[in-house]
Amino acid sequence: MTASSARKGANAWLSHAALLVAFGALAFYATHIVREDQGRLWSIAAIGFLLLAGTLASELVAPLGLPHLTGYLFAGIAAGPHVLGIVDEHTVKSLSPVNTLALSLIALAGGAELELGAVRKWARSLVVATTIQTGCVFAVATVTFLLARPLIPFARALGPWAAVGIALCWGALAVTRSPSATLGILSQTRANGALANFTLAFVMVSDVVVVVLVATVLGVARPLIDPSSRFSLDAFVSLAHELFGSVALGTTLGLVIATYLRLVNKQMLVVLLVLGFGVSTVLDYLRFDALLAFMVAGFVVRNLSNQGQKFVHYIEQTGTVVYVVFFAIAGADLDLPLLRALWPVALVLAAARASATWVSSRLASSVARDPPTLRNWAWAGLVSQAGLTIGLSLVVAREFPAIGAEFRSLAIATVAMNEMLGPILFKLALDRAGETSPNRNSAFPPPLLETQ
Amino acid sequence: MNTVGLLMGLLVLSYLGSFLVSRRSVGGVGLPSGIEYVTLGFALGPRVLDLVATRDISAFEPVAQVALGWLAFGLGLDFGFANEKRVSAARIMFGFFGALLTGSAVAVVTWWAVQRLGVGASRTDRILLTGGVAAVCCETTRHSVAWVIGPRKTWGPLADVINDVVHADDLFPLIPVAILFALDPIPGIALPMPVLDWSLITAGLGLVLGAGAALLMRSEMPVEDTWAALFGASLLLVGTAARLSLSTLTASFVMGLAVSALSRRGPRLRAMVGPTEHPVLLPALVLAGARVDFRVSTALPWIAAAAVAARLASKVVVGWALAVGSKPARSAGPLVGLSLSSSGALSMCIGLAFALRFPGIVGDSVLAVAVISAIVGEFIGPVRMRRALLAAGELEERASPSTEQVTA
Repeated sequence: MTASSARKGANAWLSHAALLVAFGALAFYATHIVREDQGRLWSIAAIGFLLLAGTLASELVAPLGLPHLTGYLFAGIAAGPHVLGIVDEHTVKSLSPVNTLALSLIALAGGAELELGAVRKWARSLVVATTIQTGCVFAVATVTFLLARPLIPFARALGPWAAVGIALCWGALAVTRSPSATLGILSQTRANGALANFTLAFVMVSDVVVVVLVATVLGVARPLIDPSSRFSLDAFVSLAHELFGSVALGTTLGLVIATYLRLVNKQMLVVLLVLGFGVSTVLDYLRFDALLAFMVAGFVVRNLSNQGQKFVHYIEQTGTVVYVVFFAIAGADLDLPLLRALWPVALVLAAARASATWVSSRLASSVARDPPTLRNWAWAGLVSQAGLTIGLSLVVAREFPAIGAEFRSLAIATVAMNEMLGPILFKLALDRAGETSPNRNSAFPPPLLETQ
Repeated sequence: MNTVGLLMGLLVLSYLGSFLVSRRSVGGVGLPSGIEYVTLGFALGPRVLDLVATRDISAFEPVAQVALGWLAFGLGLDFGFANEKRVSAARIMFGFFGALLTGSAVAVVTWWAVQRLGVGASRTDRILLTGGVAAVCCETTRHSVAWVIGPRKTWGPLADVINDVVHADDLFPLIPVAILFALDPIPGIALPMPVLDWSLITAGLGLVLGAGAALLMRSEMPVEDTWAALFGASLLLVGTAARLSLSTLTASFVMGLAVSALSRRGPRLRAMVGPTEHPVLLPALVLAGARVDFRVSTALPWIAAAAVAARLASKVVVGWALAVGSKPARSAGPLVGLSLSSSGALSMCIGLAFALRFPGIVGDSVLAVAVISAIVGEFIGPVRMRRALLAAGELEERASPSTEQVTA
């Protein structure tokens, strides 16, 4: 790097820092001179601020080798209710439609990035890794929870069988990964290679595995925690309905999207918004798994038509802006006081999960005879946890209301750690594996709404 | 209709709007003011079919505010440019003073009517009503010339002059809007200030965020980050202005001006933002239409009649002044000014902004007058524009744009 380019870089960094401070001061000032009940439309400003602050913070952390996603999270934490209070708890809740849109785009992109050829190529590794990772992480997390029971206030009061039941639920949650964090990092780095393909395929497959696992564990844990209830297969009937329905609807949706791309291929921004809001509502109404349905839709577009690349390009154009807000909201939603209270036990549980992930990854790679890149780094992309884990913790909390709130709090505290650390590890792994693209600048201007 | 249904409906409209953009011109497609979408909203709204309930309209207030802010930002970004070329300072001044003259005439007549009819509970209400009506009656839609000439036609000198003037008259109405919004501050604000200071803060907010966005986009950056900067700054501005009860329209317009002036990428940004106008405008017009209430006051017909008459008379005077200063306009005949009587998106946006900010007799009356003015303008403006262009020899006798559109 020449002195001139270093100076330019330093100037750009300083101007970004100054802008972040200026925008932050403006938003902070506005929230403090006008009463909160006048802030009915503040969610608009909150989205704007998170978008700007996330973009700027991602530029500020980039020289440290940290992923943009970490910058988005930092921006959200700083703006959130526990630090500056620019985005309060009510506003965070009111921004849930953004999360719905982002999750649908993430799932569509995840499915569309999965090429059947690559899945076939890595099939053996995927089957071995899924089996070993699921079994090993589930077992280690369950045992760790039981061992750490004296440190966990709500578990201390439980009887031995009830504690086993809750530990099993914890083990199932530990198996969840974060499709959003994986996609977010891949979208930023434009990474391509064995590690990127394997991690994406694994995370998407594990989403389905986890849904089945959680349903199974809940069925087993219910009689352990509440002796009056019995093991029932009813949950599996509704699970089968959910899974088959999601796949069927996702396939249909994928075919419709592929046909649209082939015959019309215009105004994809509006089409993606309709998918994100309208179809999500329909899926929610039908009680189908939106993540799975959109993932299948993306997979169908990619593998059953020749429109896949085009589709991925459109989602990337729209998605990047949505991802910034999505992860910044996730940062604002982090419960810092709770993390402060539960950090010792959360740290133990997160460390045990990460260690189990590392060990089982090495083991699976040896069994599957994976290339060195996967053997060394496949674990790094599997540490992240985010919205899916918190969503499933809510399912567990609803199932067992007596300990539900405390269980969920512990899950949120652990997810907070994995959410912060996971993306950094994955980015580092992709960098070390040489799969990241150094330049992601694309043509200007974009055809966001013009005839494509 | 529930909110998701309404959202889907608005997205479909947005989709249709973006198709209009992809045809590269609005010439001959729809009406220059877009009043048909307002009518659609009115028909679906609580006053007619009640398919869109008042509750749903209120739920979409943030969407309407964002749409208004984004449209005003686009207008600011494009201000001083017409047909991708810079408008001369003289024509900008003419456009500004033409709007000032029209606005002043409408204000005087409306004030007289409001006083005579005893509309409004307080003097502030009457000032707001008068100022709002004047603001919605000032401008001429930017699409008036393009609509009459139609796509892929050569523009003559008269069309060029009129097009420049109608592109330059957007600035004036936003100044009184900023002052009027500051006139009635929200209760509970911890920083009481005089009206003028709040008006300056409105402009300052736009300037600061526009400068910030321009600085952020200074270095080469990915397209997605450029959108993030533009959307982010625009949303932060709209939310902050709404929280302070300032005019989001004026602040956003100033932000657009600042970005255009301070960024080296002005033309490229205009090319990015321009195509988003219709997809954002059409849903906003439908929402505006759904809010229209012609029964808000028994005095409304008289106020509207007085305001529209004053507007038309002023436009004749503006046309006369144009003919004095411009040779091509002289050949168009004495009533060339009536060709400027089509109002459009900005008027409707101001009307909607008033309805959102001052719900009740003030806001609803201003929005209703904006709609009535646009309807009257549709009957006079395009016809007079065609005649003027025919008289100037810039349009062929049989070149009816709508016919062309059908046969094409």
